[in-house]
Amino acid sequence: MGYLANRLIMTVITLFVILTVTFTMFRLMPGDPSIFFISPQMSTETIARIKAQFGLDQPIHKQFTNYLGSILHGNFGHSFFYKRPVLEVIGERLLNTIVLFLPAAIISYLVGVSLGRYMAWKRGGKSEKVLIFTGLSFWTFFVPWLGLLMIWVFSYKFGLFPVGGMITPDKWLPGSSVLVKTLDLLHHLVSPLACYVLTWFAGNMLVMRNSMLETIGEDYILTVRAKGLSERKIRNKHAARNAILPVVTAFSMSIAYSIGGCVLLETVFSWPGIGRTMVDSVLLRDYPLAQASFILIATVVLVTNLITDILYAYLDPRIRY
Amino acid sequence: MRIPTKRKFGLAHLLFKGISQEALGKIGIAIIIIFGVMALVSPFVINIDPDVYDPLIGVDPLIFSSQGPTLTHPLGTDHLGRDVFSQLLKGSQIAFLVGITVGLMATLIGTAIGLISGYFRGVTDSLLMRVTDIILSIPSLPLLIMILCVFEHRGIWVIVMVLGLTGWPITARVIRSQTLSLRERPFVKSARVSGASDWRIILIHIAPNVLPLTFLYMTIGVTYAILTEAGLGFLGFSDPTISSWGMMLQWCFSTGHTFKALYWMIPPGLSISLLALSFYLVGYSLEKEINPRLREP
Repeated sequence: MGYLANRLIMTVITLFVILTVTFTMFRLMPGDPSIFFISPQMSTETIARIKAQFGLDQPIHKQFTNYLGSILHGNFGHSFFYKRPVLEVIGERLLNTIVLFLPAAIISYLVGVSLGRYMAWKRGGKSEKVLIFTGLSFWTFFVPWLGLLMIWVFSYKFGLFPVGGMITPDKWLPGSSVLVKTLDLLHHLVSPLACYVLTWFAGNMLVMRNSMLETIGEDYILTVRAKGLSERKIRNKHAARNAILPVVTAFSMSIAYSIGGCVLLETVFSWPGIGRTMVDSVLLRDYPLAQASFILIATVVLVTNLITDILYAYLDPRIRY
Repeated sequence: MRIPTKRKFGLAHLLFKGISQEALGKIGIAIIIIFGVMALVSPFVINIDPDVYDPLIGVDPLIFSSQGPTLTHPLGTDHLGRDVFSQLLKGSQIAFLVGITVGLMATLIGTAIGLISGYFRGVTDSLLMRVTDIILSIPSLPLLIMILCVFEHRGIWVIVMVLGLTGWPITARVIRSQTLSLRERPFVKSARVSGASDWRIILIHIAPNVLPLTFLYMTIGVTYAILTEAGLGFLGFSDPTISSWGMMLQWCFSTGHTFKALYWMIPPGLSISLLALSFYLVGYSLEKEINPRLREP
């Protein structure tokens, strides 16, 4: 299990780097570091009390250890705008983002892999060119624009899906059944999820296709074919199994890129997730909330990377030993 | 006896062959040329009538709100009466500038690190690859938003710098693996035996053979830069003194004209997607040329 321990250590180190970078950024801001804790609207006694409490007069390395300690305890400070502890505000939003992000990741992975597998197996022909062009067009499609177009066509013109938001408050009054609530959530989820999957799947598809093409040329595929197995079995059990490894690596690298797309989609669809929280809090100069959102977004990426690394270790027995 | 330093066909030849043989590559180059012409033409169009055609302050005195396409305003005007078409032209200048600068920066850094890491191996390699992994795991759009939150000054060059300094890991990884394999080739070994120094081998023997891959990843870098800068613009965090395509969409979106003014909503988004796609298509056709297994049977 040396590989997984390695990856875990890297994750912890990366998290530490992110925390350090965030801490440094806010300390580099022009002006007092107390800008971070003190909203200009507070009274002078409150300001003095907070300054003493947070030890802003202490040396920088002491501040840093205090900072790390409080974050590990979940204390991200007080939101200026919401006047509540940041953790309370963020908790609800984090789940909303995961509801959008996780299904999108899984679906675009599966769709990309199966399309790539199909394309590589059936070499040449119209379908391959069409799929590649469509995939590439969506991969480089400007995410907010795709969102706006989808809203325009499906919500504005045809009224099929809601224009934005995550729920319709009417349906979530106490007393409504779980089924109604779930259907409402799914109804709101379709548009942003579709956008997300459309802009993400092509990356996996192309890598899978390239990888399959390399694998198909290998000798063991020839052997298996000589053994007389069906085309489908060869494709799925032998070629795809081995071709999938670079795809998992590439997928892992695309996660950090696609979380940016999540931030944009949440803004376009008014999805109350952590990406939109970050954007809004930056615009409102609500620094504690902005910082916490950024750290949590980075953590989501790190956790997902770790999960894909575990998946990779499961798929490739060679690296376990 | 002169030790051969590179393959028979150089980068230019590969590029030309790759693009001319692949329909998608031709489409890509065509789109790039169209937008390139737009970018080059923009200063001249803007000088026709600064009152009307300057993208930022050229307000048509006869118009006070968003109007549809007319003869003086081929794509209509935005909510302040500024001409959308000249904003589009200026935006293409910005897109090329940002895209190519970031592409060059990220690719140069990535190639350098990949070459050093792959050639010297050992501790240098481990260290550099750890740093690469860390930077790969940090999401760039949120990082940029945070940096722009802290530095109140919203200049386009901050964006270019950060994008260039965070976009190199993937290139570095690929160049490194290519260097690792090239290092064992006979021509490198014979160079080393005849006494060439390490740096000479890297620069004169290995680097030219790694160049096609570098170019491929540069196209990917340009796409990444264009899309990320547009994303920042859409959120409102880009330079407000220039009308990049992302900012145009932001003005349209935030003033509620998304469905009312299609002549305003469609061109910027379409341009961003087309330009990004075109660079990617060029990269795709180049990749086909580099990797023979991907070609048509």
